[in-house]
Amino acid sequence: MIILLILLVLASSASAQDVAIRGFAEVQSAAYPETTPQDADRVAVEGRFRFEPAYKATSWLTLAGSADARIDNLELVERAWRFDIRDRGVRRPPFSLRHAAVTLRRGPVAVDLGKQFIRWGKADILNPTDRFAPRDFLEVTDDEFLAVTGARVQLERGGHSIDLAWVPLFTPSRIPLAGRRWAPVAPQILESVAIIDLGPAFPGRSQYGARWNARGSGYELSLSYFDGFNHLPHFTLQQVSEQSLALLQRSYAPLQMAGVDAAVPLRWFAIKGEAAWLKTTSAVADDLVLYVIQLERQSGELSLVGGYAGEHVAARRSALHFAPDRGLTRAFLGRVGYTFGPTSEMTFEAAVRQNLDGVWLKGQYSRALDAHWRWTLAGAAIGGEERDFIGQYRRNSHLLLTIRYSF
Amino acid sequence: MSSPGSKVQSPESRVQSPKSGVWIAAALLPILFASHGYAQSDARQIMAEAQRRSEAKSQRYEGLLQVLDGGGKVADKRWSFVRLGSHGSSKAVLRFLAPAEVKGVALLIVNHPDRASDQWMWTPALQRERRIALQDRSTRFFGTDFSFEDLEERDVDQYDYRLLGEQPIDGAACWRIESVPSKRKTSQYTRSEVWIRKDNYAFAQIESYVKAELVRRLTYSHFAQLQGIWTARRLEMSDLRRKSRTILTLEKLEYNVPLRDEDFTLQSLRNPL
Repeated sequence: MIILLILLVLASSASAQDVAIRGFAEVQSAAYPETTPQDADRVAVEGRFRFEPAYKATSWLTLAGSADARIDNLELVERAWRFDIRDRGVRRPPFSLRHAAVTLRRGPVAVDLGKQFIRWGKADILNPTDRFAPRDFLEVTDDEFLAVTGARVQLERGGHSIDLAWVPLFTPSRIPLAGRRWAPVAPQILESVAIIDLGPAFPGRSQYGARWNARGSGYELSLSYFDGFNHLPHFTLQQVSEQSLALLQRSYAPLQMAGVDAAVPLRWFAIKGEAAWLKTTSAVADDLVLYVIQLERQSGELSLVGGYAGEHVAARRSALHFAPDRGLTRAFLGRVGYTFGPTSEMTFEAAVRQNLDGVWLKGQYSRALDAHWRWTLAGAAIGGEERDFIGQYRRNSHLLLTIRYSF
Repeated sequence: MSSPGSKVQSPESRVQSPKSGVWIAAALLPILFASHGYAQSDARQIMAEAQRRSEAKSQRYEGLLQVLDGGGKVADKRWSFVRLGSHGSSKAVLRFLAPAEVKGVALLIVNHPDRASDQWMWTPALQRERRIALQDRSTRFFGTDFSFEDLEERDVDQYDYRLLGEQPIDGAACWRIESVPSKRKTSQYTRSEVWIRKDNYAFAQIESYVKAELVRRLTYSHFAQLQGIWTARRLEMSDLRRKSRTILTLEKLEYNVPLRDEDFTLQSLRNPL
């Protein structure tokens, strides 16, 4: 917040070359042809304004931040008029600090301090090694990243770089609201009892990570290590049998990750792969390996990405969890994009579980009207079995229209 | 538009630059080539001389891109460009300034003398850099008529040359040279024809072929001498298959500006400025 205020003051007095201001205002509306057992709403509308200033104070010091303002019709956005800095609530805040960081760069070293995005991995659809990247999953298939608060040091020299991250304040992923259309299907045991949500139990200690990346002639390879917590929750349920009550607690499992990701560009396609070995001390979470292998090819204006995401569970302990990352494994993933010209493009994305229990298809056409205005029309079709992570959302096929003014 | 302090001269002014020795050598070269016929080595010498004369330790400019489709509709894009090093072993960062929706998108290009360049793109929406696959270089750059490969620097050693003859472009006498990618170089083009101006060794036009089909034509104009280097400040790329063209106007162009190696790293791509 302080960084954002400083940015506003400095930006007003600095020369144009030292200041960059960008942002947008947009209205997005989603139409759902089907209702769900827990939600009869068919139309969701959200308005959003983003302001994103940056200021280069000296050749070695840059301040950058962004703030969001939102409003909607379905109360996925809080109705309280407050400015949220930490962004850990179950609903989207009406006003929030999206990110705010100071970057110090001297020679090959860069230090980022503050609320920032830390993104790891090389794959495009699923990134098992991207552990500092919680997301807003209120609408599961149209998610977006949340920033984390901490410090990051990067050392880059020649073809090598080392990335060290320390995140003392935990930021969880935002999961679908109970009783809404994107809420996961509850186990049968919960249908006969009243649930009291005890809220989240946030971890107290810091998270750490390190990543080494090497760029060679015709390859790129990274090794990464993470010691922290899963930003996706596990649920523990304590039933109070006499009163037909159940107490639900959200917790975030301690997690250690060893990861590897690589990209090998070849003449006809590029191979990208990523794998993470995830180990926990939690009694309610699994030890597992998540991996992705994908081929990528660009042919003129047509881009093609296709691959497979898998998981191997080494120790199964979890009963109740919300895990979109695992929900996209044991699946074939694909993306096709075509650029028509300087103003319009079309993309298709798909995730198909190997047992065909879950299928998600999305098509999107986007067109710029001028230098500022763009409209995007998207349609998502979801099908499958209720027991499957993707299939459980089979009543959530939808159309999405977004109109955005960028500045 | 030139930056403060840069020395701008029109080609017609013929003002003697400090590198007067170069101009004498240049004046003698056509005579030399004429006496030796249209040999392959002559073509290479012309290209090498053109490269030598355009060499600068670094470069910075702001580019205005105007994309005109078949119907004459214009879409404007603006970028800033910085380059450290010269032909074949240079690094460059290109950062979009407009339109608003692509502001902040940045591209790091690392050119190698013996192989195709490595390229990474940073998009603020993803908050991550993405390596662009080798075959992506034939893709149009952000919907313009320039492909990623067209934005790379061409090193004289990456091609084989043959002198095809002489042909004026916009009234200026030019050598017409065929350029074929050597085996080490992966190119979308089967071959190109390059027109080099005889008076200043600047590129006047490039026509690029895929097999026998002429697919792109790049014409250079608005020549000026900036800090001793003859530079075209307007480049027009025509995509003959799509019947569209893109005009790139170079503004605030400077050579040999002080730039640091650390401004050309993946971490520097994340910088919004």
